[in-house]
Amino acid sequence: MDKEEIRKRLKEVESLPTLPPIVSKLNEMVADEDTTATKLGKIIEKDQVLTSKLLRMVNSSFFGFPQRISTVSNAIVLLGFNVIKTLIVTSSIFEVMQASDVGLFEHSLGCATAAGIIAKRLQIKNPEEVSTAGLIHDLGKIVLRSELPEEYEEIIKITNEKGLYIREVEHQRLGIGHGEIGGMLARQWNLPERLVIPIEYHHKPGSSPDFKDITAIVHFSDILIRALGFGNSGDPWVPSLDHKAWELIKFKKSDVKEVISELDEKLVELQDFTLEIKKDA
Amino acid sequence: MQRIPIKFAKPGFILGKEAITPEGQVLCGSDTELTEDLILRLKKQGVLVLTIKGHPVRLPGELPLSERLRELDRRFSKVKKDPVLKALETLIGEFWIEQEKGKDYLKRLKTQKS
Ligand SMILES: [Fe+2]
Ligand SMILES: [Fe+2]
Repeated sequence: MDKEEIRKRLKEVESLPTLPPIVSKLNEMVADEDTTATKLGKIIEKDQVLTSKLLRMVNSSFFGFPQRISTVSNAIVLLGFNVIKTLIVTSSIFEVMQASDVGLFEHSLGCATAAGIIAKRLQIKNPEEVSTAGLIHDLGKIVLRSELPEEYEEIIKITNEKGLYIREVEHQRLGIGHGEIGGMLARQWNLPERLVIPIEYHHKPGSSPDFKDITAIVHFSDILIRALGFGNSGDPWVPSLDHKAWELIKFKKSDVKEVISELDEKLVELQDFTLEIKKDA
Repeated sequence: MQRIPIKFAKPGFILGKEAITPEGQVLCGSDTELTEDLILRLKKQGVLVLTIKGHPVRLPGELPLSERLRELDRRFSKVKKDPVLKALETLIGEFWIEQEKGKDYLKRLKTQKS
């Protein structure tokens, strides 16, 4: 299997029922200048299941709003449409992930939490967007698992047997890594480049063409959450740090200490969140 | 901070978060020190889990500190040469040690040695 073949398979993913029809409607509305958060919120709230999923996500600890967000239009105002749209587009993917790969689900939530904490500390505009990028950074792995299940199983097997990084084996077997795959799909779904590029470049942030700060944060958050041993992302190893990306973060020891402590606290809350989801499932 | 089922609570533990009933009723605030009496009262009111400061309880299934540190070291085994990541590993290890043994444990250890 080569890159082109994978590209073709991914094109078909678009037609799978994973993309809620409401998304194209919302895209049209956003393009219209007269659309307000209230109008958008009303459309989304017609779908009660989607609304409750959405509100649960926006109220979860990785965004960390002190007060409860109770309506979709409020959520749009507070988090921005990019975030809401991404949560809607990926909500069914996350359902699949919760059922098929809890470890990766926890890894993703943990990375989102870390990314949010770091983004706030670096005073990045709209840190919720950075959390969301963290949430979906390993999108490519979920796609691999669901679209190329045999190859994925083989990849995991070799990864474990040889003690390699999962992305090394992806490159060996497919000629492409989960970062690029996730990026392709996110672009196909018209997610904003601010989110696509961090997904695509989270393992090589030094080469990212744009949004270098967000990409660097997602890169380091992935390292940090693996370092803490929270969740499971296919292999247990802490990935190598891209020092070009680190230059953009460059925390002092005392900063890292505070980040670890803040993250530890949030991870405790996150366990409650995942329990709540399991209870509802 | 640690989340524990209330049956693991002991006098002297300090709440890291409010104690809440499953219905969401707040019974006492963060920073409250637990006493024998208080724990009993909370149980009676239906509280199931508590968030407490530090990491004083080893829950069933949770690895002991020494083992967690060994796992930490193993996870970093491919990046031992990177000084930034080396420092990160040390910070995480120290954080866990202080969580379990108390805040000034490492400092005390160092002054004892010198
Ligand atoms: Fe990754
Ligand atoms: Fe990851």
